[in-house]
Amino acid sequence: MSALHAEWTKLRTLPSTWWLLAALAGITAAAGAAVTGAVDTSACPDPAACREDTAKLALSGVQIGQVAAVVLGVLAVGGEYATGTIAATLAAVPRRGAVLAAKAAVVAAAVAAAGSAGVLASLAAGRGILPGNGFTAANGHPPLSLLDGATARAAAGTVLYLVLVALLSLGAGTAVREPAAAITAVLALLWIVPVLTRLAGDPRWQERLERLAPMTAGLAVQATRDLDRLPIGPWAGMGVLAGYAAAALAAGWILLAARDA
Amino acid sequence: MTAATSYRSTVQAEARDGFGRLLLAEWTKFRTVPRWVLAVGASVALTVLVALLTAAGSASSGTGEGTADPARSGIFDMGHFTYQPLEGDGTVTARVTAQEGGARAKAGLMIRGSAERGTPYAALAVTPGDGVRLQTGYRDGGAGGGPGALPRWLRLTRSGTTVTGYESPDGRAWSRVGSVRLEGLPRSALAGMFVAAPDDVVVERRFGSESISGEPAAATAAFDRVSMVPARPGAAWQDRGTPGGPGGPAEPGAGGSTLSGGTFTLSGYGDIGPNAFADDLTKTILTGVLIGQTAIVAAAVLFVTSEYRRRTLRTTFAASPRRGRVLAAKALVAGLVSLAAGLAASCGAMLLARPMLRSNGVAPPPLWDAAVLRAVLGTAALLGVIAVFAVAVAVIVRRSAPAITIVLLLLLVPQIVATGLPLSAARWLERLTPAAGFAIQQTVARFDRAIGPWAGFGVLCAYTALALAAAAFLLRRRDA
Repeated sequence: MSALHAEWTKLRTLPSTWWLLAALAGITAAAGAAVTGAVDTSACPDPAACREDTAKLALSGVQIGQVAAVVLGVLAVGGEYATGTIAATLAAVPRRGAVLAAKAAVVAAAVAAAGSAGVLASLAAGRGILPGNGFTAANGHPPLSLLDGATARAAAGTVLYLVLVALLSLGAGTAVREPAAAITAVLALLWIVPVLTRLAGDPRWQERLERLAPMTAGLAVQATRDLDRLPIGPWAGMGVLAGYAAAALAAGWILLAARDA
Repeated sequence: MTAATSYRSTVQAEARDGFGRLLLAEWTKFRTVPRWVLAVGASVALTVLVALLTAAGSASSGTGEGTADPARSGIFDMGHFTYQPLEGDGTVTARVTAQEGGARAKAGLMIRGSAERGTPYAALAVTPGDGVRLQTGYRDGGAGGGPGALPRWLRLTRSGTTVTGYESPDGRAWSRVGSVRLEGLPRSALAGMFVAAPDDVVVERRFGSESISGEPAAATAAFDRVSMVPARPGAAWQDRGTPGGPGGPAEPGAGGSTLSGGTFTLSGYGDIGPNAFADDLTKTILTGVLIGQTAIVAAAVLFVTSEYRRRTLRTTFAASPRRGRVLAAKALVAGLVSLAAGLAASCGAMLLARPMLRSNGVAPPPLWDAAVLRAVLGTAALLGVIAVFAVAVAVIVRRSAPAITIVLLLLLVPQIVATGLPLSAARWLERLTPAAGFAIQQTVARFDRAIGPWAGFGVLCAYTALALAAAAFLLRRRDA
């Protein structure tokens, strides 16, 4: 419990934490609003045939906003290695598993709070922008609302996605220790697959890649319509991402316990 | 005891702060960190690996029509052409009196090798939007000149392999539009009138993604006062693609021509020129650079930030107090190393993908083609400039984590996000961010091109110059 309190104090008193959390919420909402504003029904055969997934569209800003979660997760441990305070931390709390668990808990809580703010702002922006672009209730696009089961699942799932990405980064940062290398590796892992799928000509391989990649599988939770067209189910996809996060945390924990600080 | 000679430092002589010495010092710093050398090697390996993956994947998406010739599949050769044979040098003149088919429809004169697809040609055309243009080849547009107001006289003269176009508002005062050399134009060529229209781009959005396709557009035009020099009395006009002459049985959808009272009316579908919907095979093979650059960026950023972190920068500045020169040396070393790595990566990717493409029934892009060469060498230059940009950002930010994030965010994200964005928004993203530099990899002027190859590279260079200037300013002003 005291480890948790110590980690919370460390996280809370770093100005960069607050900048990153603000960036997480702000970029998610701003990028989502920009993308939503750029899409209208003019390119559809007719406005009712668009079948646009408006919830997913409004929440698409998270693809960029997640960068802040990655940096926050990596710096939670990597920053201690960079400045050398990890030695003091481990002297104060010799149970290394407890240190990692406390860090994971405070990072998850902070990202969940900022992510919720970003997601709610995105949905609010989408609610305001979408009807103006032709996505009206008459065309089969009811206004975004958290009372709608699928939209609520997409919103909650997106917050969970951000938390899991932060935990994945925390594990990678603990395992790699070098913040630069860890950030590069996590961003490459998240973004490499959308690039690769563009290249793979075979649709079967595209689906396979999208099922196995952390970002595409994890973001399947944002889909609110045509679920049978998804390469992987919403919660199954979240499970894939959770698997990545668990593997990264386990690797971080083993290495933290096995190595000298 | 011998008389002690007084000690004289040799440092003074050796430490003459020549730029060469500084460069050597920075090169030694880079060379002796195994991690950075590994990162550069990894970037080459990643790029080549993705190229091989792409080449391997090209089989399943192949059309199964045997070896596709990129020089032929990448072109449009449609529209309608009504012609007479032209032996040796000669001139064809006609007046365009009416034209339909939109702002980019072409109506005019053409001299071409034969009626076969993809033969060398020169075409002088009036377009309502772009005026009179002389066009040749299947790669890019041609020289422009003159307004496109109708009626307009056009004249195309062949002399040897050179074809020159003239235009005139009244048939008396002629002005030269331009001339082209047609390699491989046979002695007996075809000359006549043609109409063509670029495809209409149709954007359709369904299920949250956009599909873009081209629909052949129709064009119609009327010509009169048609004359050929040397005149061949009795020579009949022929329609390309159909057996008969004007007025013959025109297939529906294939266009045709009619002749009444000296006025020819031609109608046709499709365009002649580069295929704006062709796959850019070279760019696809070189896409691996998107992934390879992450390692280069990381190495270039760490090349700077590790000196801040380990405080060795103070030693560096003590040894070479002129900070601008240190920055220049670092940027030069990182840029040249990345340039070399990029050269190895792009050449390796192109060469290793060749046998794989061939075994999958796809003809690899010709290496000595100017556009392909520009893409290959441009990719190497791209990595060099990206490394310099990363060095500059690292000096500004001074810490590795944010510097790498910022550089990758600017270079990588616009391209990934652009795939999910509507075309109009994606284009602006690819024009205004440093990611525009990747335009240098284009070899085909596609319909969705956001920015020209050199212009895009220029945007990246401008960002880099700006970042370097800011870095030099901050470096001088701040304590190390």
